Amino acid sequence: MITAEFLCYRKLTIDSLEIKPGITTIIGANGSGKTTFLKLCAGIAVPDSGSLLIDDALPRETETGWVNEFPDRNILFVNVFDEIASPLRFRRIPCNEIDSNVRACAETLGITYLLQRAVRDLSGGEKVLVSLAAALVHHPKVLVLDEYDSHLDAHSLAKIEQGIRRSGAEYVIRCTQQMSTAINSDFLLFFDSGRITHAGPPHDIFPFLKGTAYYPLLWGC
Amino acid sequence: MVKITLNRVSAVRDHWSLSASGTFNEGVHLVSGDIGSGKSTLAFMMAGLLPLSGGHIEKEEITTTMLSLQFPELHVTGLTVAEECASWGVDPDEILDAVRLAGKKEESPLSLSRGELKRLHLACVLAKNYDLLLLDEPFSSLDCEEKVKLCAHIGQKSQGITVIFTHEQNILPRVKQIWEIVDGMLVNCGTPPDAFTHWRHVPQLIERLTALGSRPENISLEDLREAVCRIQG
Repeated sequence: MITAEFLCYRKLTIDSLEIKPGITTIIGANGSGKTTFLKLCAGIAVPDSGSLLIDDALPRETETGWVNEFPDRNILFVNVFDEIASPLRFRRIPCNEIDSNVRACAETLGITYLLQRAVRDLSGGEKVLVSLAAALVHHPKVLVLDEYDSHLDAHSLAKIEQGIRRSGAEYVIRCTQQMSTAINSDFLLFFDSGRITHAGPPHDIFPFLKGTAYYPLLWGC
Repeated sequence: MVKITLNRVSAVRDHWSLSASGTFNEGVHLVSGDIGSGKSTLAFMMAGLLPLSGGHIEKEEITTTMLSLQFPELHVTGLTVAEECASWGVDPDEILDAVRLAGKKEESPLSLSRGELKRLHLACVLAKNYDLLLLDEPFSSLDCEEKVKLCAHIGQKSQGITVIFTHEQNILPRVKQIWEIVDGMLVNCGTPPDAFTHWRHVPQLIERLTALGSRPENISLEDLREAVCRIQG
C-alpha cells in the first residue's frame, strides 16, 4: 500500500491517501500538482512535511522506474541499446544478462527495431518508448509515468498498456490528459489546485466529471 | 486561393522513407500517423526547413508560413516571458492575460511548467495569421480544458491553410480533410464523415459510434457529443 499522511510539498497538500497495488491514474488541469505528486512517489522530491511511504518504505529506498513526458531531459546515452541497458550496467549485472534483458524488454514493447539507432534520430514518441524500456528493464516495484502518452499514437499505446500490465511493477502511478488512457485504470485521482478532490475507481469518479473536458465520451458507449 | 501541392515529395534515411503527394487547400487539415511514421518530417518539408530527397512542392499565394514544433522549448529565444512574447511581435500584456501568465512576465520561459510554456507558445503563434500554419503535435502537454480552447481557436480561423500533425484521439477541432501516413506514404482519406471509412487511425470513439449507427459528422468534441446524445437520448 502507498500511504500519504499530512503530506505537504510546495502547493501540494494531501491529508490522507491510500493507494493499493495496480494502475493508478492522476488527472486534472496543468499546474494542479500531478507531476509534483509523481516526483514524490519516484523519490525525485521529498515532502516538506508529512509522509509518503510505499509498503512502509521511503520512495528512495524502493526500486522505481521513471518516465518523463520530455524524455530528452532524462536520456543519457547516444545509442538506444546503451540507454536501455544503463540501469543494469549501473548495477553491474553480467553482460550476457544485460544483453538478454534489454532484448526481452525491447521485444515486449515492440521496439527491437530501434535498438541499433541513435537516440538523436528518434521521433518524440520513439524516445518515450526507449525511456519506458529503460524504466522497465530492471523490473521496478513502482513505475511512475508522467504524461508518457502525450506523444504516442493509439496503436503504440495499446501495445504499451499490455507491456505495463505484464511488467510486474506492483504499482503503476501515472498522469495523463488522455481520458481513453484513464479509463483503463484500477484507481483514479482527480487533482485540483494542489489537492485531491476525487479518489476512487473510474466508475465512481467519472460521473462527477460529466459535462467537463475530463469526461471520456467513450465511457457512455 | 492559397494552396500547397506536394508532387511525389520524398524523404529517405537509411531504411526509412516517406513519400507524399496531394494538395492542401484552404481550411483545417488533420494528418495522423504512428510514431516515427514521418509526421514531423513532413511538417518540416512543407515548411521548407528540410531538403527533399525527391519531388517538389508548389505553393500558391502562400507568403507567410509558420511551423509550431512539438517541443515548445525549441522555440524559446527570450530571456524572460515578456521578451519571448516580444520576439514573436505580440504585445506581452495582451498575450499573458489571455493565457493566465500575467504574474510571470519577468520569469524565464524555461522556468514555466511544460503546460504553461506550450500555452504561451501557441498563444504567440495563433496571435497572427499565416497563409500556411503547420502545427506539430499542438495538443501535447495541454490539459483537457486547454485542448478544448485550442480547438475553438483553430475552428474560428477563416483563412489560410492549417495543417495539424497529431495522434491526439479525443479532443480535436472540426476539420475539412483527413490525411494519414501509412507504410511510408501520405494517404488522403477525404472529407469527414466519409473519410472515417478509409481512415486507419480513426479514433476508437468514432469507430464505436459508427458501429452503433450514430456516425458523427466530423471529429470535433461537439460532433462527438452530438453523436453520443443520439444514442443515449
